[in-house]
Amino acid sequence: MKITRRTAIQTGLAASAILAAPSIVRGQARPSAARTIRAVMHGDIPTYDPIWTTANMAGYHGGMVYDTLFGIDGNQQPQPQMVGRHGVSDDKLTYTFELRDGLKWHDGSAVTTADILPSLKRWAARDGGGQHLMERVKDLAAKDEKTFSITLREPYGLVLDVLAKTNMPMCFMMRKKEAETDPMQKIDQVVGSGPFTLNLNETKPGTQYVYDRNPNYVPRAEAASGIAGGKIAKVDRVIMMNMPDAQTAVAALQAGEIDFYEVPPTDLLPQLESDRNIKIEVLNGLGNVGQVRLNYLHPPFDNVKARQAMLYLVKQSDVLKATFGDSKYVKQVSSYFGMGTPMENDANIDWFKGGQNIAKARELFKEAGYDGRPIVIMQATNIAVMSNTSLVIAQAMRQAGLNVQVEAMDWSNVVQRRASKAPPNQGGWNIFITWSGGAAIGNPILLSAHAATGDKAWFGWPSDAKHEELRNKWALAPTLDARKAVARELQANAWNFVPQLYYGQWVQPAAMRRNLRGVIPVAEIVPWWNAEKV
Amino acid sequence: MTAYIIRRLLMTIPVMGLVAVFVFFLLHLSPGDPAAIMAGDNASPESIVEIRHKLGLDEPLWRQLVVWLANLASGDLGRSMFWGDPVTTLIAQRAEPTISLALTTILFAVTVAVCLGVVAAANVGRVVDRFVMGLAVAGFSVPVFVVGYLLIFLFSIELRWLPVQGYTPIAEGILPWLHNLILPTLALGLAYVALIARITRTTMLDVLAEDYIRTANAKGVARAPMLLRHALKNAAVPIVTVVGIGVALLIGGVVITETVFNIPGIGRLVVDAIARRDYPIIQGVIMIFSGIYVLVNLLVDLSYTFLDPRIRY
Repeated sequence: MKITRRTAIQTGLAASAILAAPSIVRGQARPSAARTIRAVMHGDIPTYDPIWTTANMAGYHGGMVYDTLFGIDGNQQPQPQMVGRHGVSDDKLTYTFELRDGLKWHDGSAVTTADILPSLKRWAARDGGGQHLMERVKDLAAKDEKTFSITLREPYGLVLDVLAKTNMPMCFMMRKKEAETDPMQKIDQVVGSGPFTLNLNETKPGTQYVYDRNPNYVPRAEAASGIAGGKIAKVDRVIMMNMPDAQTAVAALQAGEIDFYEVPPTDLLPQLESDRNIKIEVLNGLGNVGQVRLNYLHPPFDNVKARQAMLYLVKQSDVLKATFGDSKYVKQVSSYFGMGTPMENDANIDWFKGGQNIAKARELFKEAGYDGRPIVIMQATNIAVMSNTSLVIAQAMRQAGLNVQVEAMDWSNVVQRRASKAPPNQGGWNIFITWSGGAAIGNPILLSAHAATGDKAWFGWPSDAKHEELRNKWALAPTLDARKAVARELQANAWNFVPQLYYGQWVQPAAMRRNLRGVIPVAEIVPWWNAEKV
Repeated sequence: MTAYIIRRLLMTIPVMGLVAVFVFFLLHLSPGDPAAIMAGDNASPESIVEIRHKLGLDEPLWRQLVVWLANLASGDLGRSMFWGDPVTTLIAQRAEPTISLALTTILFAVTVAVCLGVVAAANVGRVVDRFVMGLAVAGFSVPVFVVGYLLIFLFSIELRWLPVQGYTPIAEGILPWLHNLILPTLALGLAYVALIARITRTTMLDVLAEDYIRTANAKGVARAPMLLRHALKNAAVPIVTVVGIGVALLIGGVVITETVFNIPGIGRLVVDAIARRDYPIIQGVIMIFSGIYVLVNLLVDLSYTFLDPRIRY
């Protein structure tokens, strides 16, 4: 057969049409661009089990697919979510909850107390706040398919706060089948009762996670506020993307290929601010608080004088400037509970008012008996704020005459090495830099880094009996004012024994296309209900 | 010839075995703990220990190696520590974008580079030659990600002709598929063009100095047939060799290019796996890339017999 130019072209066109046909069919099945939000988040989802890990991105996934019994509203108050009517007995020992009508799992079955109780137990096995609650729980019982109760041994003022919290792991409800999974094992199926369902066919682990509107979800009647109120999915699909290159994400936002970029780098903000199609918003007003963790197990920080000296050494303005420049998104932190949180106070902050005082720090290190041995700082070089902070603090310490050894490594190495209790010259450490969400810093119970329980505490292993006594007192305080009063005592004591210190607080502005409306400002997660493209 | 191919294929077994042992120790002896990363930043030390136990990372290293090699021998690359999916499945899911990018890049680079090399050799010492060689130096000197950002700025932000990022499967149409691949192909192909263009020029200059070319010139053979039919064919062996060696360059470039253009290929898979210390994925991808490199070199060696009938194995 003779192949002419015409037949070659015809064959090519026919082949293209055949190849294009699947996309036409698929294109018709996909929601339109106007009903789809494409959002680049701060990282990848490490697992679909938001109870098993404390990683924030797992919580973002959880917020889409699962629902919670209670949710924190915009005023930081717990509000019922899956729960309808609820009450507490006069002796404050028995809480009774009734599930609201219309709750269904994505497989169509009804949500019952047979699902709720194992969900609570599995979550409590993995969560510090949950454990704190369960230590006081005498009985957890179902009265019928919709009603259950929590009976306490002693009055505990944080029951609803703990169930509603937004720091990880959040108290997500799962089907009985998944909820009865060993808390140390990940669940293998994603069936929630939340406003979105995970579309596994379109999801590509590591790069994009596709969530479709759950048509059977019955939202509450109240307006959305925080993670409370009506969770109304106003778009058909949300695609959460993992795009590791910031420059590419910024370009994609400018080109309109994505609608939202959660963590644009500070140095690229002017470029985005000058684009009239893009707006910048701070969604998490409490932001993050930078922590300097000191190792209590080894000299010099096994001595309280050396820890106090660090308060006088760290100049927060220098540290913040090194990473954020002259940013309007940063502030210095004097309160042990962060700035802007309900527990913020000004007890025992003379060290802060006086500013950096190297002479005083030198004197305190001398009183601590510092013998010139190397102080090892683990510098996570792949995370700018941690890397820069390590260097600025090291320089201040050198100015005070300390022998500082900055050891460069990536964050995953820090995560591994920080678990070592060995002396610094045998694979251990003295200082590492990290941060936590402002909302979590503001809660003495829910953040594991606040514990001062020695060997059982978070990395650094601070120990202080009075601190622990006060944390318990705070948890039992019946009113907000009572908690604030205990928070003052806690802070006054904390700035004496110094369980950790802070290098500043910053908020992370998010960038989005101007036509994206209704993204709810919440600490810790980005919820996609209520958001729409106009 | 068949015996030679069988012998070469058998030789790949010890090579791959050495690669496997080397990769295993390289990963497991370098710092980093997947269990700690999986558990999250605020996890307790106890839960990290528990996860490490569940993953078998608390087993002696030699035992982990033996298990891995035994699985490898039966074609099992293991399962991702994070996703629990078989590594072969994850690689298969990501193969299409990477193969597409590699093929379009080789096609683009070989076509453009050979043309440029021939033109430069035919015009040696002239402006065209200097321009092509200048381009080659620039192409080799500028990193892939810089070229990528410049292309994005020009063609995506300023002109709005091409997308910034992403990948469209070929099953959704050739044009959308190509639309997404043009910029990554250009960015990745530039260094490859530089390499092949330089070697083409040099080899062509050697061939053009041969007696039979002078004879062809004297007999009045037209310039184009002389360059393409007589000179280029005889210059093909070194060019094909460089194309084969360049596969290593291509594999390294693919990893960066997929990150810059957000292409969900094997390069992105391995970058993410390295950040998480997902050992089975890293090991699996390196084994597959090593296997590809060994096979490409075998194909290059075999191609010599077609390009130069004097070569026999």
